[in-house]
Amino acid sequence: MKLPSLFRRTPFRLTLLFLALFAAAASAILAYVYFASASEARARSQKDVLVELTALQAIYRTRGVDALNQALVERIVRGGPYLYVLIDARGEQISSNLSKSPVDPKQPAAAGEWEPFPLTSTDAEGRVQTRQGIGQEVLLSGKERLFVGEDIGDIEESLSRLTQALWMAMGGVLLLGATGGLIISRNVERSMGRLNTVVAAVRDGDLKARAQVRGREGSGGDELDELGRGLNGMLDRLEASMASIRHAGDAIAHDLRSPLTRMRAKLEVALIDAEAGKVSGVDALEIALSEADHLLKTFNTVLAIARLQAGGAPDPQVFDAADLAADMAELYEPAAEDKGLEFSAEIERGLMIEGNQPFLAQALANVIDNAIKYTPTGGAVMLRARRRSSGEIEYSVTDTGPGVPAEDRERVVQRFVRLDNSRSEAGSGLGLSLVSAVLEAHAGRVQLDEGPGAYGGFGPGLRVALVLQPAP
Amino acid sequence: MRVLVVEDDAEAATAMLRGLTEAGHEAAHAIDGAYGLLEAQRGGYDVYVVDRMMPRLDGIGMVETLRKDGDQTPVLFLSALGEVEDRIKGLKAGGDDYLVKPYAFGELIARVEALARRRETGGVQTVLKVGDLEMNLIARTVHRGATEIDLQPREFQLLEFLMRHANQSVTRTMLLEKVWEYHFDPQTNVIDVHISRLRSKIDKGFDKAMLQTVRGAGYRLEA
Repeated sequence: MKLPSLFRRTPFRLTLLFLALFAAAASAILAYVYFASASEARARSQKDVLVELTALQAIYRTRGVDALNQALVERIVRGGPYLYVLIDARGEQISSNLSKSPVDPKQPAAAGEWEPFPLTSTDAEGRVQTRQGIGQEVLLSGKERLFVGEDIGDIEESLSRLTQALWMAMGGVLLLGATGGLIISRNVERSMGRLNTVVAAVRDGDLKARAQVRGREGSGGDELDELGRGLNGMLDRLEASMASIRHAGDAIAHDLRSPLTRMRAKLEVALIDAEAGKVSGVDALEIALSEADHLLKTFNTVLAIARLQAGGAPDPQVFDAADLAADMAELYEPAAEDKGLEFSAEIERGLMIEGNQPFLAQALANVIDNAIKYTPTGGAVMLRARRRSSGEIEYSVTDTGPGVPAEDRERVVQRFVRLDNSRSEAGSGLGLSLVSAVLEAHAGRVQLDEGPGAYGGFGPGLRVALVLQPAP
Repeated sequence: MRVLVVEDDAEAATAMLRGLTEAGHEAAHAIDGAYGLLEAQRGGYDVYVVDRMMPRLDGIGMVETLRKDGDQTPVLFLSALGEVEDRIKGLKAGGDDYLVKPYAFGELIARVEALARRRETGGVQTVLKVGDLEMNLIARTVHRGATEIDLQPREFQLLEFLMRHANQSVTRTMLLEKVWEYHFDPQTNVIDVHISRLRSKIDKGFDKAMLQTVRGAGYRLEA
């Protein structure tokens, strides 16, 4: 896979942005430090110069120009930080410790103004150095001009060293930042690359592709691992849905084929019989109609299961599970008794649940209907609704029919599974699948257990429990 | 009875018109919601049978408009969408009943007749009479001739519904929806058992059997 150009990668771009902001802030601080130190140093020098100037003016006023000159010479000989130029009234330089005077003798004195000037000196190795000086000139009362300055080369030098150090530090930071950004961006790029590979593989039809992630759910790994886990979870769900759809498609085809085949055969027989005058065409058409109805019912159930699995239970409401159980008992009791079954109901009151009432009614009806259908005459069917000690709400239907062998119980709640010995019974084989889909859509579950056991030719029976969460 | 069928599927509409005509009703057809609205505004219909999904103006839009204009004619929605929320949406829009495609003709006609009947019997009744069968809704007693008939509460409700729709077919699904107030498929014909119990109470020992089974449709209480 071709890597996108460095600058198009998000982490690198973010690093660069950060560095730019950092550099701007650092420059601002640097500039402040520089100007603050420079002006501080200058102000100190200027003050020193003014003090010296005041002292020299005092000597001049009290003892005259010669005394001033003497004082200057003494100071020059003694050595000090100051630079002096004294010019007499005719414009001749009397004394100075500067090789080149910053004061133009022909120009009138600019009193009170600070004059920067270059200073040249020779260092120990004989190299000529140019340094910065600053000074002020005053016009004395006898028209002599006195200039006092100071070498500020030291200040400038230390400031420039500071500046240099700061620039270097900033350069280093920028370099480190850029390198760090590059490394981070490489790392992120690699993780993203892994995710991208998965996405590309899925796009090309490989639903089994999964991202490699570090750590486990909720702990370990970084955000990208989290994203990878999310992606994997999504793909698991997608793959399961696809498999379920494929399976449903096969199952629909399979399950619709047998009633269609049956209808075709019956129509053919009816046609032959009708031609021979044995039956009327009306009978044949009625058979066809009832088979068509059966097909439609199967189809609707498949659709309902698919929608429940795709979208959960629609239109949930809070209602009393006990009321539903009582209504179902009332509705089914005559049918059970007509078949010669003993039907009883044990219903606790006040079992509030939240869910889609028609679907839950359908689920419970399917279970009761199965129990009545599979329990032979003389047997018993019992409906219970109760609150489990765990707080969950449970509907259960117990019968004394042939039951379902333990090893088949998982299977019968899957779609379209009918146990071989029940194949001749009417029904789509979707009854329990719909029950299971309804319960799943309500975050509940279906449990198949042993019935009351075998006795007197009955049993071992079956207990089907629908377990639901109580309404919050 | 005059029925307006608003349905964009020509074949389905033709079959429906024929079924309604054969059941002794007058029926007119509009091919979409817009035509349906125009036709309905001409007036004179007892029931509208409206398909939910149509081009231009769908069934919901049409019925909402009619209701806004103050037309209270009963509406039976037809829909290929059988989900609960679809049913609720249809009823909220002003529909009075909801039938999922495909349906049996018997079911459609029974529901159309029930809707038209509901409209006729306005006002509060305290006594229902069908032939020599009499139901007192206040005292909650039932007599056939001079004989008092003892009914369980649900049997009472069942008979009340049948009496309110006397001489009219009612289907098993209608009974489950209107008497038990459940919308689901009971798999086996549990309703039949309830009817046969009721029948044994109101018809046993009398010359005329009032509670008739209608082939392919359901039941009918005849005077």
